[in-house]
Amino acid sequence: MPDVDAIVVGAGPAGAAAALELARAGRSVYLLERGPFPGSKNMYGGVVYGRILDTLVPGWWDEAPVQRWVTRRATMIMTGHQALTVDFRTESWGRPPYNGATAYRPDFDAWLAGKATDAGAVLVTSTTATGLLRDGDRVVGVRTDRPDGDLTADVVIACDGVNSFLAKEAGLYPHTDPANFTVGVKETIALPREVIDERFGVRGDHGVDYEIVGCTGDVPGGGFLYTNTDTLSVGLVLSLPALAAGGTRPEELLRRMKEHPAIAPLVEGGEVKEYSAHVIPEAGYDMMPELSCDGMLVAGDAAAMCLAAGIWLEGVNFAIGSGAAAGRAAARALQRGDTSNEGLAGYRSRLESSFVLADHRKLRDAPHLVMSDLAQRQLPGLACGVAERMFRVDNPEPKPGLRRILRQELKRNGVKVRDVVSHSLRALRTFG
Amino acid sequence: MQVAACVKWVDLRPEVDRVHGTVRSVGGPGGAGWGISEADRAAVEVALQLGAVWSAPVAVVCAGPVGAEPVLRELLAAGVDRVVRVDTGADQPSHAAAVELAAVLSAGQLGADVVVCGDHSADRGSGTVPAFLAHHLGAAQALGLVRVEPVAGGRVRAVRRLDGGRREVLEAAVPMVLSVEGSVAELRRAPLAATLASGGREVEVRPGRPAHHVEPPRTRPWRPPPRVVPAPAGDHALDRVVQLTGALVERNPPRTVELAPAAAAREILDQLRTWGYLGADGE
Ligand SMILES: Cc1cc2nc3c(=O)[nH]c(=O)nc-3n(C[C@H](O)[C@H](O)[C@H](O)COP(=O)(O)OP(=O)(O)OC[C@H]3O[C@@H](n4cnc5c(N)ncnc54)[C@H](O)[C@@H]3O)c2cc1C
Repeated sequence: MPDVDAIVVGAGPAGAAAALELARAGRSVYLLERGPFPGSKNMYGGVVYGRILDTLVPGWWDEAPVQRWVTRRATMIMTGHQALTVDFRTESWGRPPYNGATAYRPDFDAWLAGKATDAGAVLVTSTTATGLLRDGDRVVGVRTDRPDGDLTADVVIACDGVNSFLAKEAGLYPHTDPANFTVGVKETIALPREVIDERFGVRGDHGVDYEIVGCTGDVPGGGFLYTNTDTLSVGLVLSLPALAAGGTRPEELLRRMKEHPAIAPLVEGGEVKEYSAHVIPEAGYDMMPELSCDGMLVAGDAAAMCLAAGIWLEGVNFAIGSGAAAGRAAARALQRGDTSNEGLAGYRSRLESSFVLADHRKLRDAPHLVMSDLAQRQLPGLACGVAERMFRVDNPEPKPGLRRILRQELKRNGVKVRDVVSHSLRALRTFG
Repeated sequence: MQVAACVKWVDLRPEVDRVHGTVRSVGGPGGAGWGISEADRAAVEVALQLGAVWSAPVAVVCAGPVGAEPVLRELLAAGVDRVVRVDTGADQPSHAAAVELAAVLSAGQLGADVVVCGDHSADRGSGTVPAFLAHHLGAAQALGLVRVEPVAGGRVRAVRRLDGGRREVLEAAVPMVLSVEGSVAELRRAPLAATLASGGREVEVRPGRPAHHVEPPRTRPWRPPPRVVPAPAGDHALDRVVQLTGALVERNPPRTVELAPAAAAREILDQLRTWGYLGADGE
C-alpha cells in the first residue's frame, strides 16, 4: 500500500498547479520542495501571464502578489549606439481581467502553493527528491535526502524544473544537447517608485515590459527589462554553447547593456539588490521528452515547456497549464485505478488540446529563428540603419527613398536578399 | 534535568542602512526570508546533543508570531520534545524578550537547567539576550562559544572566542546559559516520517506582553565596534598620550601624484616595497 496517492516534486508553478488539481479531486498528495519555502530557489525575468489562472483560481487578480500590471510592452532592437523601439500600450491591460503582471517568484510561488495546501495538499519543504523508487520499470515513489526518506505513491509528477534529474532517471530524455539551453542572468535594481513611474511613463500600479534584441555582443541571445513596484528586473538570456565556447561573460554583457545610451538613463542611480542566474529550456517542442511512463508524469520546465520565442518568453503560464493538466490526468487515472503509461495517456491528449502543445508545435521554429545569425547579428544593424536613414534629414541632398536605403543598408550589414526572403518565409510560417 | 534552547524569529536578510547602520526588515514577520539563524539552529543541535548524553528532554522556546510555527514544527521533527511559542511581535528589545523567555524557562514552568542560545541574531542583534537570561534565571553564563562538549554530571567543557584570535577553555555547570556560534554544530536533518507528522504536532503558546518598546531614532551614524589595541606603556601620562597620538613620531606626509596608469602602478609597487609589503623582486 503506497504512502500517498500522488507525489509532486517541485513547488514551482507547475508543481503547485498539479498538487492543487489533485487535492481538489480529493486525492492525498505530497508536494516536495527542496527550498525552505516555495519560490525560494526560483528566478525568472518577471512577467506572469494570468489567463491560465482564470479557471484555476477565479478572481486571482484580487489576491495574487502582483508588483505591477503590464500596460506597456516594447520591443527594442539595438546596436552599439542605436535603438529602434516598437512600443505598445493599452489601458485595458491595467484593469480586470488584466493581461500580464510583474511579480516576485518567492511571493508568487508561495501564494500558488498556498492554494494547493488550502485545498489539502501537504507541502514538505527543505526536502530534495534525490531519485526514483521503482518496481521493475514502474515508478513507485521517490527517495529524498532526509533520513528514512523513501516515499511511495501511485503516481509521481516530476515538476522539478529545467534539467530534471527525475525525468532523466526515468529515461524520458533520450539525449540532452546543450545547444537546446540558454542561461538567463538578471539583476534586480532598486529605485524609488516615483522615479520608475517617471522614467517609464506609468502611474499607480501600471508597469512596462521591454524585450531587447542586439544587446548580447558575441553571444546569441536577448535582453529584458521589467518594472516592479520599486525595483527593475534587468537581464539577458544567452546561448549556453556560445558562453561555453568562451564568449564574453554574462555579467560583462549585462554591464554593457546597462551602459547602452537607451538603457542607461532608465537604470541610472539604482542599487543592485540581487544577481541571479538560471537555465532555460530554449528549444521548446524540439527538445521535449516523453511526457509519461508507468507511474510518472513530467510537467513544466522539467518537460521543456517554457516558450522562448522572441517577443514571447512565457514559462510560468505554460508550467501552470501543463501542471494542472498533469494533476487532472493523474486524478483521473487514480480514479480508474490505472496509473500505468496507458492509464496516464490522458495527460498528453489534454496538452494537445490546450495552448500548451498547440503553441509549442506552431512556434516550433521560433527559437531557431530568433537565435539565427541573421536575427542576432545582421537584423539589428539593418533595422537601426534603415530607421536612422529614414529619420535623418540630408538637405540639401534630396531624400533617398526607402528602396535605395534598403539596398545600401543590406550591403553595409552584409545581408543577402536571399537570406532575408527565406527567413521571412520561415517567420511567416511560424508566427503567421 | 531539562535542556532548553531559545531561538529568535528573525528576518534573515534585513536591509542595513550603509550610513546609519539601522536595520530594517523587508516584508512582514510571516514573510519569505524570515526564519531562525544558523547560530540558533546550532543552539538547538547542541541542546539535542546535551539532551542525548544526559538523557534529558529538550524544549525550544521562541518569542515570536504565529508565522514562526511551521519552522518550529521542523524542530519538533528534528527531535525536540516540546516547543513553546511566546506570542509576541518579532520586534521585542533584548531585555524585554529575555524577561518573556525567562518566565517560560524558569522553575515554575519548564524548569530548564541548561539553556542554549545562538550568540546573536541575524538582524545585527547585540547578543545580550543570553546574558539577560542568565541574570533572570540566576544561572552561570558561557557566551560566544565555538565548541561545547558535555562532561558527566551536568557539566560542559567549552571553548570561547576572545579578541585577537585567542581562545578561553572553560567549564560550566548547571544551572547555566550557553550561547554558541553558528559553526558549532549543524542542525540534524529531520527524518521524513517525522517531518510529515510534524504538521499535526502541537506548538504550545503562551501569551506574551505586547511590545511597547519603540526604538529611539539614531542621532549619530553607526560605528563598528572599537578594535582592541594594547595600552600604551610609559610612566608619565604625557608619554602615554604622545604614544597614543603618535605626535612626535617621524612620518612621511601623504603624497598625491598624478601619473599615467603604467607609471602609477610602478609608483604604487615602489611604495609597497618601501613599506616592506613586497620583496625586492615584487613577490
Ligand atoms: C532568466 C529567465 C527569465 C524568465 N522570464 C520569464 C517571464 O518573464 N515570464 C514567464 O512566464 N516565464 C519566464 N521564465 C521561465 C519560467 O521561469 C519557467 O518556465 C517556470 O518557472 C517553470 O516553472 P516550473 O514549475 O516548471 O519550474 P521551476 O519554476 O524551476 O520550479 C521547479 C521547482 O522544483 C524544485 N525542485 C527542483 N528539483 C527538486 C528536487 N529534486 N526535489 C524537490 N524540489 C525540487 C525547485 O526548487 C523549484 O521550486 C524565465 C526564466 C528565466 C531563467
